[in-house]
Order: sequence, then C-alpha cells, then structure tokens
Amino acid sequence: MVDEAFDFARCLERVRERDQAASRQLVTELYPQVIRIVRSHLPRRVAEEDLAQDIFLKMFTRLEQYQGNVPFPHWVSRIAVTTCIDQLRVQKRRPEFRWADLPEEQAEMLDHVLSDEREAIPGDALAARELVQKLLGQLKPDDRLVLQLLDLEQKTLAEISALTGWNQTLVKVRAFRARRKLQKMFQELQQQEKS
Amino acid sequence: MSQFDQQWQRLTALARQAPADQDTTVPTGFATRVVAQAASTPVDGPWPTLERLALRGFLAAAACSLAAVAFNYLGSTPELPEDAGLDETMSVLLDLS
Repeated sequence: MVDEAFDFARCLERVRERDQAASRQLVTELYPQVIRIVRSHLPRRVAEEDLAQDIFLKMFTRLEQYQGNVPFPHWVSRIAVTTCIDQLRVQKRRPEFRWADLPEEQAEMLDHVLSDEREAIPGDALAARELVQKLLGQLKPDDRLVLQLLDLEQKTLAEISALTGWNQTLVKVRAFRARRKLQKMFQELQQQEKS
Repeated sequence: MSQFDQQWQRLTALARQAPADQDTTVPTGFATRVVAQAASTPVDGPWPTLERLALRGFLAAAACSLAAVAFNYLGSTPELPEDAGLDETMSVLLDLS
C-alpha cells in the first residue's frame, strides 16, 4: 500500500524541477502498488520488472498531463492497468487450454468445480488461483481484465471505471459477456472430460 | 444465479484466499535505472497530441480535396463549341435548312 503520509504534491514539485533524488523517491514509494498491478495482470513472457519499468517511464513522460483531479497513485494505477492491457493485446495468441495439460491439483480442483459438489472444495487456494489465471488467460485482454478486477480483486464498478476509463454500463456488459465466454469454455471442458 | 455462475464464484472465492504475492520491495538499482532512462526520454506534453490531431486533420483535408478534384474532372462532360447550340436554335427559328 502507498504510505498515506507521503507528500506527493511536494515530491512532484521537486520531480518537475528535475530533482533526481525526488524522482527515485517517487519510484520507490509507488513500486509496491505498481508491482501488485503488474503481477495480477502480467502478460505471458513479459518480465514483471520490465513492465514496471515501462509504467514508470510512461509516468515520467506524461507527468505534465497530470492535472491533480485524482490522487496521484490512482493516476499511476491507471497507467499501470492500461500498459498491462496494451501488452496483453500485443500477445494475440493465447495458449491452448487442455484438461490433460493441467497439473494434478488443478485438474482435481476443476473437476470439483465442474461436478458442482456442494461441499467446500478441498485443497489449495494457490491451485485455485493458478487455475483461475489459466482460465482468464484464455479470454481477450479486456474480458480478462474486467473479471480479474471484478471477481478476483472485488473492486466496485466505480473503481473499475476509474482504472480503465470505461463507463460503468460498459464494465457490466463486458463482465457479462466475459462470464458467458467462460461458461462456454467450462462446457467444452466438461465435454472433454466426459469423452 | 446460474449453475456456472455459482461454480465460478466458488472458484474465485477460493482463489482469493491464496496468500498475497511475495515481496514488493524495490529491486536494487531499479529506481536509479528508471530515473536515468526517464531523464533521457523526451517529455510528452499536450503538443504531441495536438500535432498528431493536426496531422490527421491535414491528411483528411488533403484526401477530401483530391477526391473533389478527381470527381469534378471525371464528372465533367466534353465541352461543346460555345455557339453550337445557338446556331442550331437560329437555324430552327429561321428555317434555314
């Protein structure tokens, strides 16, 4: 989390005066927030540090455009999200998702989810998270982003709208369509499993 | 809520319980590297955006002008001699034929 006591206004003033120490301080302060966003939306084959570096470079080159209408960390979060989604768009090919390729614990997890057993799913939250990431990785970048923010990070429609620049109706529509695509994928997996 | 939605909610609820990802401390030298690179990168002000828009506007206007010239050129009929119509009218009126 960003330190609330950190004086962004003063730091930004110094950064605008080309104070390199202030610039380094700004990067250090925002790094945990940026790296969390990068990790949750990380496109395949892109090193997290490289992506974080791109985000900070964009932050510095666009600094003159920051009007102060939103808190500075929110403005940077938006740059981080849009940079990740741009990277995902570049990687048009998505890996094929096959039941047979899943590690044992993820296959078991998926089996429990698909068989609709009422008791709590046994096992491991990490396997569930990896499985969810694999499933989301099959979707288009915008669909993936909306479900990641809404269902995994449990952000509100207003927060997602602020992060992505999409209006709330568009967020709802995208989430609905993305879930329907996932549903279709689940059905195909069930058929694979039966056969 | 459909059966799928329930399944998906159960899976994501479990995924949320996974511990937050590791360490978020800045790698050594990261801030220095980024700041040095930023210092050598030109700053994006509002002008580049305006320049891009102006260039697009100029290209669109040029395309429209060319299209208008081409349309006028292709659509024009071969010119008749200026007095051809007059001659015919006069010959009809005066019955000179």
